[in-house]
Amino acid sequence: MTKIVSLLILEVVFCLTFFTVSYSDINLIQTTCKKTPFYDLCVLTLKSDPRSSTADVSGLARIVADSVNAKAIATLNQISALLKSVKDPTLEKALEGCIVSYNTIIQADIPVAIDAIEKNNPKFAVQSATDAGNEAQACENSFAEKPSNSPIFSGNKAVHDLSVVLQSIASLLL
Amino acid sequence: PLFYKGWYHFFYQYNPHAAVWGDIVWGHAVSKDLIHWLHLPLAMVADQWYDKNGVWTGSATILADGKVVMLYTGSTTENVQVQNLAYPADHSDPLLINWVKYSGNPVLVPPPGILDKDFRDPTTAWLTSEGKWRITIGSKINKTGIALVYDTKDFINYELLDGVLHAVPGTGMWECVDFFPVSKTEENGLDTSVNGPSVKHVVKASLDDDRHDYYSIGTYHEKNGTWVPDEPKIDVGIGLRYDYGIYYAAKTFYDQNKNRRVLWGWIGESDSEAADMQKGWASVQSIPRTILFDKKTGTHLLQWPVEEIESLRLKSYEFNQVKVQAGSVVPLDVGPATQLDIIAEFEMDKEALEKTTGSNVTFSCSSSGGTIDRGALGPFGLLVLADDSLSEQTPVYFYIAKGSDGKLKTFFCNDQSRSSVASDVNKQIYGNLVPVLEGEKLSLRVLVDHSIVESFAQGGRTVITSRVYPTKAIYGAAKLFLFNNATEASVSASLRIWQMNSAFIRPYPNNKESQ
Repeated sequence: MTKIVSLLILEVVFCLTFFTVSYSDINLIQTTCKKTPFYDLCVLTLKSDPRSSTADVSGLARIVADSVNAKAIATLNQISALLKSVKDPTLEKALEGCIVSYNTIIQADIPVAIDAIEKNNPKFAVQSATDAGNEAQACENSFAEKPSNSPIFSGNKAVHDLSVVLQSIASLLL
Repeated sequence: PLFYKGWYHFFYQYNPHAAVWGDIVWGHAVSKDLIHWLHLPLAMVADQWYDKNGVWTGSATILADGKVVMLYTGSTTENVQVQNLAYPADHSDPLLINWVKYSGNPVLVPPPGILDKDFRDPTTAWLTSEGKWRITIGSKINKTGIALVYDTKDFINYELLDGVLHAVPGTGMWECVDFFPVSKTEENGLDTSVNGPSVKHVVKASLDDDRHDYYSIGTYHEKNGTWVPDEPKIDVGIGLRYDYGIYYAAKTFYDQNKNRRVLWGWIGESDSEAADMQKGWASVQSIPRTILFDKKTGTHLLQWPVEEIESLRLKSYEFNQVKVQAGSVVPLDVGPATQLDIIAEFEMDKEALEKTTGSNVTFSCSSSGGTIDRGALGPFGLLVLADDSLSEQTPVYFYIAKGSDGKLKTFFCNDQSRSSVASDVNKQIYGNLVPVLEGEKLSLRVLVDHSIVESFAQGGRTVITSRVYPTKAIYGAAKLFLFNNATEASVSASLRIWQMNSAFIRPYPNNKESQ
């Protein structure tokens, strides 16, 4: 009887310990994401990356930066595909402008943000993240058909919102 | 920065590979007059483990025998911030082209209680009464910004003093700390080691949290290496700023050539990084400014463009007592208006000043609507980099607010909201209160240079730097106007305006690397 009780107690203690470890990483994700304007997007992005279970705030910023990059590359591919078959000159001009914006995000903003986070000089990460959000917004604004959205609206929104999340998390590192 | 063997030297943070921050090394330029610069080869690159991840900010100290030592922050291969010693390879070379890093670097590592990432930007050293050299390095503990103090005899071995030079809660990391004396009585600068009863000391910090430079005037207690502000309400980080615009990481040096203290500041870009990448460069340095204690207020410093800027003046235009009625704009014909030096004085209609009813509505430049926000006694001033139709304009202006107690408060602002029709540029309104004393006229100096506007109110008591990117108000199409958008008061302005020549900055003539 005592053996079973001991085993039970051991099992409960084991479960509690295991539960406590994962609870505290989720806690860091939650407290960090609460300090951003897009809580759900932030939590979803972080939770879907296995690195988040052992990351500190700096690591969480890195995960978001990687996510901005991935979404930006996907959107850039979308823009390139649209450019291949575009006929309307206004639309073509807007898409070409977006190529410039997205190249900036991928070649300048994200590499600088990641570098700044690694080198513990987070204000440059904040600045770059802000710029990435602005580039995505500028791209969206350049399409003539208002008030409806551009053909790459969801890409622009994802990149913009995630950039804002990155900006907020990088600010916590200041 | 320093003056050495007839040349002014400027070492700066430079990324040789891209128009964004990264791969930071030390660029180098020299000048005989702080205005015409010659580019030299890079002074220091990231070639040691202790600065592999960045050759960051440092300061020069000129020793008693005239030799120079340089202390700078390196970011190591492990991203730890350490302080390193470097010195000229050849002290007799006035151009200080080659530098040697001390073989025993780093000379300082983060002390206990200080994080690896919170220990950077050592200052110029000053002498203590015991004949030791003393430096300060900014840091933080949680959210309290602090300045650590070290004494040294040889710049190799250091003793950390107990306590700190000063600390201010809630200000975050103090970057680019600067500490220097100003004379309470004389109109000249002081060597960094000067101390005495007619001297005040300034502590300045660049706040990482908001990217602004703050200063405070106070008293230095040499014995225990501490400093106390004269007015705790305007302590470091919570009070006055060098500049209410885009201006950061500034530092001063004592110019022994002309017996003045000179301030340098980094003016970043406020356009998009896409634009920076396309144009292939980003960031500029301000025109150097002299720094003096403002005897009249006792709380402010006065900044003023160095007199050598006047060597760029070409044709001048004078306007006397131009009356600008409430709600009007007056063009000033000065030819092309992209490179200008403007000195102006404004006088407001005395009757309107007295008659206007005060209110307790608070005003601030940044939360106002800019120049479209009309008050009884403002805004009024200049429209720089404006096109004929005023579709693009950058107002540099005063706004006088009268309190319910009848007291007048004067604000000095720069309005970027209509500076360009481009949508990817900063459109904020910058500015702050400017103390105007009894009997003073409102005075303004503005340096306009295509996309850079440096403006000085009341002799440099309040300064604003802006970057603007007009698309139409450029080259021959850029114009200058006086404006008065007040509802009640008229204003009269007297101005002297000069066309400014270019400074023709280029590589040093015999510099093989630059050819």
